[in-house]
Amino acid sequence: MQRISIAERPHWRTLAEEVGFNFHAFDGEPYWDETAYYQFTLKQIEDDLEAPTEALHQMVMDMVGDITRSEEMLTLLNIPRDFWSYIWNSWNNGDPHLYGRMDLVYDGTSPAKLLELNYDTPTSLFETGFFQWRWLEDQIHSGALPASADQFNSLHDKIKQAFIQLDLTQPFYFSSVRDNAEDKGTVSYLMDIAAQAGHQVRYIAMEDIGEVDGQFVDEANEPIRGLFKLYPWEFMVQEDFAKIITTSKTQIIEPGWKILLSNKGILPLLWQRYPDHPNLLPAFFETASTQPLTAGWVRKPLFSREGANVELIRSNGDIIAAQGPYNDGRYVRQALHELPKFRDQQRNQDFYCMLGSWIVGDTAAGICIREDATLITKDTARFLPHIILDTIVA
Amino acid sequence: MKRSKKAVLILMVPAVNILLSGCGEKSEQALVYSDPSECAASGLSTPEQCAADFAAAQKLHPQVAPKYLNKSECEVDFGPGNCETAPQEPTSSSSVFMPMMMGYLAGNVMSRLNMGSQRLQQPAGAFAGSPEENEGHSKVQTQPLYKSRDDRSTFRTATNAPVAKGIGPISIKPSQVKPQVGQLVRRNIFGQQAATRSSFGG
Repeated sequence: MQRISIAERPHWRTLAEEVGFNFHAFDGEPYWDETAYYQFTLKQIEDDLEAPTEALHQMVMDMVGDITRSEEMLTLLNIPRDFWSYIWNSWNNGDPHLYGRMDLVYDGTSPAKLLELNYDTPTSLFETGFFQWRWLEDQIHSGALPASADQFNSLHDKIKQAFIQLDLTQPFYFSSVRDNAEDKGTVSYLMDIAAQAGHQVRYIAMEDIGEVDGQFVDEANEPIRGLFKLYPWEFMVQEDFAKIITTSKTQIIEPGWKILLSNKGILPLLWQRYPDHPNLLPAFFETASTQPLTAGWVRKPLFSREGANVELIRSNGDIIAAQGPYNDGRYVRQALHELPKFRDQQRNQDFYCMLGSWIVGDTAAGICIREDATLITKDTARFLPHIILDTIVA
Repeated sequence: MKRSKKAVLILMVPAVNILLSGCGEKSEQALVYSDPSECAASGLSTPEQCAADFAAAQKLHPQVAPKYLNKSECEVDFGPGNCETAPQEPTSSSSVFMPMMMGYLAGNVMSRLNMGSQRLQQPAGAFAGSPEENEGHSKVQTQPLYKSRDDRSTFRTATNAPVAKGIGPISIKPSQVKPQVGQLVRRNIFGQQAATRSSFGG
């Protein structure tokens, strides 16, 4: 696993604008960054990332049914009691799921460790499935990278295949919060693939979803029978009108049971069931009697995104914390396993690298890499492409 | 190979509107006006017909207009000052609100024109449809039209289907303007949580 500098494609910004990737910069700072790439061997990809991703996914899926039946675990995960039946039903009816992403620490040699699951509203999908793929094609075409270079990225193919197999009502609606370019980009990409798979697709902003007689409706008051929502389940169940979820005859993707897996509480539950698993980190629920955070541990809110409200203490005592709006709930503790540090030759600075590993249906479907200046990967982290190549590039 | 064979986009380049209205369904002629005097001035219908169409639309208005539990929610969709109290059953305790009628759509135009006597000063070509259109019976029902807050130039049906940017004759598919009983609508069911958080995906 290496970080290698490379020239940017001269036209990439134009290309990005053309394909609607207008969130390639964030607050004036680059988000998509192709001044370098990460290189893996095929063995690293297959043995250290692909296989553990599928194994972890299977372990997680094996726990869902048990959680839906356990008052104790549902309580630990802060799932509102009014939704226990809904979640139990969504799991036992086999409501289909589409995709998810797990975040891993991996340094190229030691086993990848699961940091957390993003199984409800994962973004950076377009960057991974399309833009990173296109980057490699362009770099091979221009001769900057050898034709033997490959990428662990079958995301586009696998999502298309999943949409072909999914039995969706027509039209099928896709929704995100209005005025969020990144979320809209993710949803547009999914709509594009769904349309290629033969579905009738429609966009509706979350705010425009209405209710008539307990049924979700669109702007024209037509019933919404099928909905992909890039909006967290944990928000949906807290809204004033949450009970409509249980009365509306709407197939929702990701399904209700995914609320159990977008929750950091799954980390201690996994550790309890699979202690000392090579791809897991020790984790436990914080209680009133839990000691203050000590060196070598991380504190994370049950519900939090993009590193918000995460706090950690390094072995040397340094405290690193990220601000955020998720300070109103409970927390879990996880053993600190530091992200590997790579030198950016051009910026002459070290960056911490986190790996996102995608699951479509129940199959590993590729990776994405984000770099942050600190040990907590936040929404300001940059996205870097990667390749698989077995010969060492000097 | 560990990567997709082909990653192509069809909708994202360039933005394409997906048309969902029924393929194969024939368009029918109809007329759009803000009020009967505007209609009479156009000369396409008699003043009596204009008044009759307007009255028919007005009668339908309280039935088809979307309903809201409070005025502010209605005004979010239709603009300040553009909502009124909906008539309701005497047993009901609280008020219900609906948007004001901003115009009307006169349907059944072809059969009327074929009656001949009411055909006044029809501009050449205005209704020069195909033979079966001329003998056909428009299934577009006369109904009220509304204007949304964020798009004041477009006449819309009670089900929010855009009908016309201005007044006069239009061509439209009957299924797009089929009136339905106006239902009690609640919006902004979702989004309150998002308003207090910075990001939603992750």
